[in-house]
Amino acid sequence: MRGVGRGTGQIVDAVEEALSPEEARRVIRRTFRMLRPYRGRVALAAALLVVQTVAVLAGPAFLRYGIDHGIARRDLGAIDRAGLAFLITVLVGFVVSRAVIRTVARVGESFLRDLRGRVFRHLTTLSLDFYDREKAGVVVSRMTSDIDALQELVQQGLVLFVVNGLLFVGAVVVLMAMSPVLALITLAAVPPVVLVSRWFRRESNQAYLDLRDRIGDTLSSLQEGLSGVRVVQAFAQERGQISRFRSASDAQYAAHLHTISLQARFFPAIEFAGVAASVVVLVAGGLMVRSDAVTVGTVAAFVLYLNNLFEPINQLSQLFSTVQAAAAALHKLYGLLDERPVVAERPGAYDLAPGGDLTVDGVTFGYGGAPVLHDVSVEVRSGERVALVGPTGAGKSTLAKLMARLYDPDAGAVRFGTTALPDATLASLRERIVVVPQEGFLFNGTIRDNVAVGRPDASDAEIVAALERLGLADRFQSLPEGLETEVRERGSRLSAGERQLVSLARAALADPAVLVLDEATSNLDPGTELAVEAAMAELMRGRTVVVIAHRLSTARRADRVVVVDEGRVVEEGTHAELMARQGSYAALYASWSQEPGAATADP
Amino acid sequence: MLGRGYVTFRSARGSGWRLMGEALSPYRSVVILGSLFAATWTAAKVAVPSIVRVIIDRGIVPGDSGALALGAAVLIGAGVAQAVSTGLRRYLAFKVSLRVEADLRARLFAHVQRLHFGFHDRTQTGELMSRANTDLQQIQFFLVFIPITLANLLTVASVAVVLLLTNVRLALLALAALPFLNLGAAWFSRQLHPVVLALQERLAGVASVVEETVAGIRVVKGFGAEGLQQRQLDAAAEAVYRESMAAARLRAAFLPFLDLLPTLGLVAIVWLGGHEVLAGRLSVGELVQFNAYVLMLIWPLRMVGMLVAQTARSAASAARVAEILETEPAVTDPSDPLALPDGGGPSGQERGMGAVRFEAVAFSYGSGGAAVLDGFDLDVAPGEAVALVGPTGCGKTTVARLLPRFYDVTGGRVLLDGVDVRRLALADLRRAVGLVFEDTFLFSDTVAANIAFAHPGAARETIQRAAELAGAAEFIEELPNGYDTQLGERGFSLSGGQRQRLAIARAILADPRVLILDDATSSVDPTKEHEIRGALAEVMAGRTTIVIAHRPATIALADHVVLLDHGRVVDVGTHAELVARSARYREVLAEAERRDEAERSLAAADEDRVGAGS
Repeated sequence: MRGVGRGTGQIVDAVEEALSPEEARRVIRRTFRMLRPYRGRVALAAALLVVQTVAVLAGPAFLRYGIDHGIARRDLGAIDRAGLAFLITVLVGFVVSRAVIRTVARVGESFLRDLRGRVFRHLTTLSLDFYDREKAGVVVSRMTSDIDALQELVQQGLVLFVVNGLLFVGAVVVLMAMSPVLALITLAAVPPVVLVSRWFRRESNQAYLDLRDRIGDTLSSLQEGLSGVRVVQAFAQERGQISRFRSASDAQYAAHLHTISLQARFFPAIEFAGVAASVVVLVAGGLMVRSDAVTVGTVAAFVLYLNNLFEPINQLSQLFSTVQAAAAALHKLYGLLDERPVVAERPGAYDLAPGGDLTVDGVTFGYGGAPVLHDVSVEVRSGERVALVGPTGAGKSTLAKLMARLYDPDAGAVRFGTTALPDATLASLRERIVVVPQEGFLFNGTIRDNVAVGRPDASDAEIVAALERLGLADRFQSLPEGLETEVRERGSRLSAGERQLVSLARAALADPAVLVLDEATSNLDPGTELAVEAAMAELMRGRTVVVIAHRLSTARRADRVVVVDEGRVVEEGTHAELMARQGSYAALYASWSQEPGAATADP
Repeated sequence: MLGRGYVTFRSARGSGWRLMGEALSPYRSVVILGSLFAATWTAAKVAVPSIVRVIIDRGIVPGDSGALALGAAVLIGAGVAQAVSTGLRRYLAFKVSLRVEADLRARLFAHVQRLHFGFHDRTQTGELMSRANTDLQQIQFFLVFIPITLANLLTVASVAVVLLLTNVRLALLALAALPFLNLGAAWFSRQLHPVVLALQERLAGVASVVEETVAGIRVVKGFGAEGLQQRQLDAAAEAVYRESMAAARLRAAFLPFLDLLPTLGLVAIVWLGGHEVLAGRLSVGELVQFNAYVLMLIWPLRMVGMLVAQTARSAASAARVAEILETEPAVTDPSDPLALPDGGGPSGQERGMGAVRFEAVAFSYGSGGAAVLDGFDLDVAPGEAVALVGPTGCGKTTVARLLPRFYDVTGGRVLLDGVDVRRLALADLRRAVGLVFEDTFLFSDTVAANIAFAHPGAARETIQRAAELAGAAEFIEELPNGYDTQLGERGFSLSGGQRQRLAIARAILADPRVLILDDATSSVDPTKEHEIRGALAEVMAGRTTIVIAHRPATIALADHVVLLDHGRVVDVGTHAELVARSARYREVLAEAERRDEAERSLAAADEDRVGAGS
């Protein structure tokens, strides 16, 4: 469907469904395992973080020392000592916090770099059944938005999260050390604050999930209104579209405002808790000063430490959603890493013999659901050219894919020579049997890179030789930048026909014994159509060929035609034999020939 | 063309500021109220350390429990005032900024919906998406800061005054470093922005390797090219690493520095403040108060610094939005529209309506572009069906677009039932002209809603009848929820032929006087084409129809054929007559056929996996 279903670029606020405690524990354990290679730096970062926290917490302690030892005893020396010590601590804190940022970034970013590589490597080993099952967008999002959520944590939140946690713990420890009684009185304010924070976290997570959906609705309504604007105008439905969009947009506004109203209740509550706690400290402290249980300096330090008690709670509740999103992302990534490729190399696999017959023996196969192929047997003798023919959805493509072991059959076997394909090394398999898909799929890079996909180590001479074999060397070398021409994204700089030619040259360089061809059906530009046909003929020469035929001429030129219908082989023979039989092949032929122009198309 | 480089920056910002001011003006009173709460918040916040000082100096140090109790009560009061005002300030600030964002979003959408085809031809959807999305967000970021910025400036000023009144020497020392905090934050924000953009680009680089590999996974597997892609990914990931580390170095250089400045002020307070207390120029309470005030200034100063950088970005965003809003629609309703002659029923068939006439029409896309039509004349009688045939680029699609005024002619005129189309209200005109496009656009809505697009209130029977006529009823009834099946993004997807039949049903339901079929069968599998042809013949019966086609079978639906070349009519006749007498006609058909042949197949694109429910 055009216009609908295309994703949009925006990454909505990172909110995720929360993991269960058990899942969270597993994620944490595994992350620690994954961090093992970096443990030296992790330890360094942890040590530096502790030093930084101590430096922050030292400030009020020096103030207290200054008041109690300097001011109370009128000792200038004590004041100078406190001031100097404070200054040194501050400078140490400054130096250390620079090192913290750099060290944490280095650990976090190299972890992410390696994770990207690892997840991607794993993705490329997974077999096609995985790609059939999972939507491409979801697979891509594992490598993009999920890892980006982690990146966000590394860059913005991780240091803050740890520092605030340490600050809170440190502040509690220091307060207890200064005056256990006053500390306990002060800490009485903490449980309500924690309870309120938990309420806020839960509510706001829910509210953000809701907001994310609303933003998604607005964006798709927007996208649709823009891509469909011509239809909207043609049917004079602007008004309807506008009101549809406005209600999506208003729903987003309301959802967003709801998240704000939660914050507008939570943040003031925390602020008030801070003030209330100061009142408690001042009143209780004041009474205790009178009974000489604590000093004035201690009370002053307590008031200042309150900041280190409540601010971390506040910060942690705000950071929590980032951490949660990162945990959810890790959970999904670990799930992906646990995915096992179905088409994998068996232990003890050996290289395929250089040549042989390709035998499909009693194969049944379905894409996870109902079988698409039922007990299919086909034999392709070495050097033979076989055309697979049949209506849409008959299973021709599936059969071709099984022949190249892009999938493994549910029952039966595919053999090359005497070796069942699963017993062969994947490298030798991909060398002997090459699939050329219907559309020339090009990667970002030069023409040379694209030809060399199957053999990245090929020399220039080998590449030119492969092009020459198909009669294409001049065509591409005559481009202004020759083989170094960048094809751009998906080969957009070349025409469909030229892309097909590059794809054929790729197969020629790979020089396989067996070629599995999915014939192009889509419109080729007239300028390249002949070239494609010639190159195809050249490529097939001297090889075993299985071709999914979409044109009569191809079927007629084949040594043998295999007609597939509803997942079974219904007819087999040469074109002439099958025409004489007056069966389904003849019927297919007839239905095609009735189309106007068919007679001229295939003389 | 829209884009960052289009308008000069200064004038752009002017229009951006105007837009923000204008969008904000309905909510002036809320902004003022929010700012009042912000001021209250400031006052309460600034009062707290002073109250604490009084408690320490008058209550705790002399051991006066009366003063202690009074101070505590005042402090609680200030705490309540602070909490209430901070909550309301935040809520109101967001309410206004989000409301403005939503208003502008709706306004932008409505405006763009009414902009002419020419605008959409040269503007990419992604570009407009980012205007309505990122740019509006940037505006919201700025607006939400207005009350808090006022509060912050107020905080800085009043704290400075309180400190100076308490002890000038200490105040100057403690405050000396703080302006650098402001400058540093602004500088940091400006430095970081390009690095963040570069990082986003590197991340996009990773995404494109992944997308390419996933899209081409069959090729990657087929050739065993996993290693090649892995190397590319590793390079992209390394680039992300390097850019991230650059950002980290920048943060490492500045963030600790921003922390250091106010802390140096605190050191000065402990050290020199201690001396001042001993010299009897400062009380212990004042010392603690100084400390608290310096801490209080850190965030406001940092935020003001960051806001400087944000302001520039928001103004630029607002300017880009203003640019679109200022684009005038080129095709508009006439000031006093004429009515179409009454046709009895909506389609006008009963009274023989639906006459179309092109008189000496000239047209080119964009001023100064090559003429697509030049002296083009065409007369279609009510109820008649005409096929427009011609080589690619001859202007036949343009003809179809001029009748419903997707574009206006540059010369001559187009008449519908004797009225110049420019004299009709656009809604009337477009209700009278129905189109079936080459690409069917379906909305993510139910099947029924897609068919009833022209008349959203249409009865279910009307919808079903339209579907039946279009030959769509059968497959619709087999869908999981029949006519209520959701299509699109989160719904069901249909095949090309099915989509095409829905588009035809949509046109049938619209029941127009004139129907235009713009290459409506070309994307349909030829083996299925005859079914659609049947549906088309049904709709065309008795209705003025313009068919743009190149397949003889579709052309055969028309009463006669108009052959176009280079923007002019070169021949008119029946299909058979033209085949017999016009070499150019035969040439055009053969050329179209050759293009079509490439698509033609024993069976169309192999779609095994569709059946497997992948």
